[in-house]
Amino acid sequence: MHPVPFRKVIKMKRLLFGLAVIGLLGAAAPKPTPDPAVGKAAYESNCARCHGPTGAGDGLDAKRMSPMPRKLSEGVFKFRTTGSGTPPTDEDLFRTISTGLAGSRMPDFQRLPEEIRWQLVYYVKSLSTAFNDQKPEPVNLGTDPGPKKATVERGKELYGQLGCAACHGTAGRGDGPSAPTLVDNWGRPIRPADLTHGSAYRGGSSVKDIVARMMTGIDGTPMPSYADALSSPEDAWALATYIRSIQEKPNFQRVIEGVKGPAPLPSGPDDPAWGAAPATTLRLSSNLYREGEIQPTSVAGISVQALYNEKEILFRLAWNDPNESRESPPDAAALALIPDRRLKPKIGSLRSWPATPEAPALDLSLWQAIQAPAYEAVLKDFAQAAGAPEGGAVLESKASYAEGQWILLIKRPLAPAIPGGAALSPSRPTLIGVAVWNGGNGEQGRRRANSNWVDLVLK
Amino acid sequence: MRHFTVRLFAAVVFLSLVTCHPSRAMAAGTAVEAKGAAGTAAISGKVTFSGSAPAREKIKMAADPVCLAQHKEAALSEDLVANNGALQNVFVYVKDGLAGKTFPPPTTPVVIDQQGCQYHPHVFGIQVGQPLEILNSDATLHNINVQPKENKRFNIAQPMKGMKTRKSFDKPEMAVPFKCNVHPWMGAYGHVLDHPFFGVTAEDGSFTLKNLPAGTYTVEAWHEKLGAQTQSVTVADGETKQVSFSFKK
Repeated sequence: MHPVPFRKVIKMKRLLFGLAVIGLLGAAAPKPTPDPAVGKAAYESNCARCHGPTGAGDGLDAKRMSPMPRKLSEGVFKFRTTGSGTPPTDEDLFRTISTGLAGSRMPDFQRLPEEIRWQLVYYVKSLSTAFNDQKPEPVNLGTDPGPKKATVERGKELYGQLGCAACHGTAGRGDGPSAPTLVDNWGRPIRPADLTHGSAYRGGSSVKDIVARMMTGIDGTPMPSYADALSSPEDAWALATYIRSIQEKPNFQRVIEGVKGPAPLPSGPDDPAWGAAPATTLRLSSNLYREGEIQPTSVAGISVQALYNEKEILFRLAWNDPNESRESPPDAAALALIPDRRLKPKIGSLRSWPATPEAPALDLSLWQAIQAPAYEAVLKDFAQAAGAPEGGAVLESKASYAEGQWILLIKRPLAPAIPGGAALSPSRPTLIGVAVWNGGNGEQGRRRANSNWVDLVLK
Repeated sequence: MRHFTVRLFAAVVFLSLVTCHPSRAMAAGTAVEAKGAAGTAAISGKVTFSGSAPAREKIKMAADPVCLAQHKEAALSEDLVANNGALQNVFVYVKDGLAGKTFPPPTTPVVIDQQGCQYHPHVFGIQVGQPLEILNSDATLHNINVQPKENKRFNIAQPMKGMKTRKSFDKPEMAVPFKCNVHPWMGAYGHVLDHPFFGVTAEDGSFTLKNLPAGTYTVEAWHEKLGAQTQSVTVADGETKQVSFSFKK
């Protein structure tokens, strides 16, 4: 018997290992046989609370959500790899259940075993006749031709040619001329995605995810399929590569670092001095309900920078707002400082402040998109008067709106200019929160987008 | 508009003749004699609007300069068009009375054109299985969002001037809405029938349903804002019956 050469053994071992790996993957992949009883039980304990017992989208918590939970019984699904108007594949549903939908209340169900997730897929399909009437028509998404062929430049050109800006805006901030009038297929107002917020793309923010959305459209919404309009897979990938490139990288932090700036602080938002000030991204949210229905706010995040000198601190706030509103109610923003951090437990979250009439006052710097100047005042609620209230102080501010974005510079003294105000000092952090009102969305008073409390630290 | 409607109707009738007769000739048996049978009867008439018609609204197209530039004067809404008592854009068709007869669909498409950021025609009929050609004559993005109840839904983008897309419908269905989300004023209605006996009233409110087999029919006149009315009509071979409908607000 000839000894088997060593190299050959290695090769065979590799081959066997490879086969074993394929075998294992194969073993994990096959879908289980549908078991309606298991699917129903899993649906009732995991899905019915939002989607309703029969999938009518009328669960207990449905009205407290924006976007509302899908009406599964109607069989219209947004995130598919199938042609416009056709049902999703099993894999599409499995993916949505497994990864959730970013920017919505649909969580991921990774905690459920794959087997159960598949049973949920089958059960969800049984709730609608759409899957009997039609078969999914998978769309060929092509493969990534690589950045040399699918260039950002070509993608940008296509973004203009294909009319993306009509809804998503020139800079992709969801501020296109058609944006204010968009409605979904049920007649409810709907906003086009702010393409610069990759983390809020419901169906995923990768280039391939974007290709899928463009090729299949988002059923039930104004977003159409571009399968016929894109002349080649390279173009689809180039456009998606461009859209991916305009996604901003948020810097979520629990701290806003104020940096020592030049003696006269910058007078404009593009001053090179801002390069030295780290930008912190704050998530904004609201929890205002009326008759059990959420009153959604539209600004999801804000970028904050701060420069200071011996006497003053200058904030640079940048946030996306699809429509500039200078009339009632106007767009507005406020910096809220807790005058004494020991008061934080009594104040609670900025979202619910003031929770009671006895809640402690905050030191507010309020700007509104109107002629009257910004002001600072210590108040027990956001009083949106068109001018500084009694005891308040006028603040210097400068705001500009372009392509779906507000940039606001607002300056206040370090020492409290008004009684009961917050004293800012490099020797200790101050708790700060930010609130934003999108007037075009009818936001005013309590209806506002709020950040959490973070520390303002002067370095 | 009037000419277009007439031409469209003529095309449908012509095609039904062209495509029906050979099939009848091929199916030489008597049992299938009725299949695809076009006859020599006709129903024609006028649809009127009684009372004073509301003024047509001027469409605000400022959101898209490409749309705006195509209209010297503001385009007017099309949801209720009455000219001196004549009601335009009423869909008149045989609703009942053709049971057991089949009419193969024409192969020539019905064309719906997006021009000046309005649909042309605003109301149309199409046979089950007949191609529908959706054309964009505007140098701007239109999405064609079609959400039927019985037929396949679709929402497609036509960003370039001259783009054409073909679709068809599998099942009869009335009043399939066509919408463009980019230009929310744009709307059209397509009616999917399994026979070719339909028409849309012209500017003078007139319509004609030609080449009907002799028989007793329920004829319906449908208007998007004013609802539907039906009449029973009996026609003999070679006869043209006059029928009129009157709508009010």
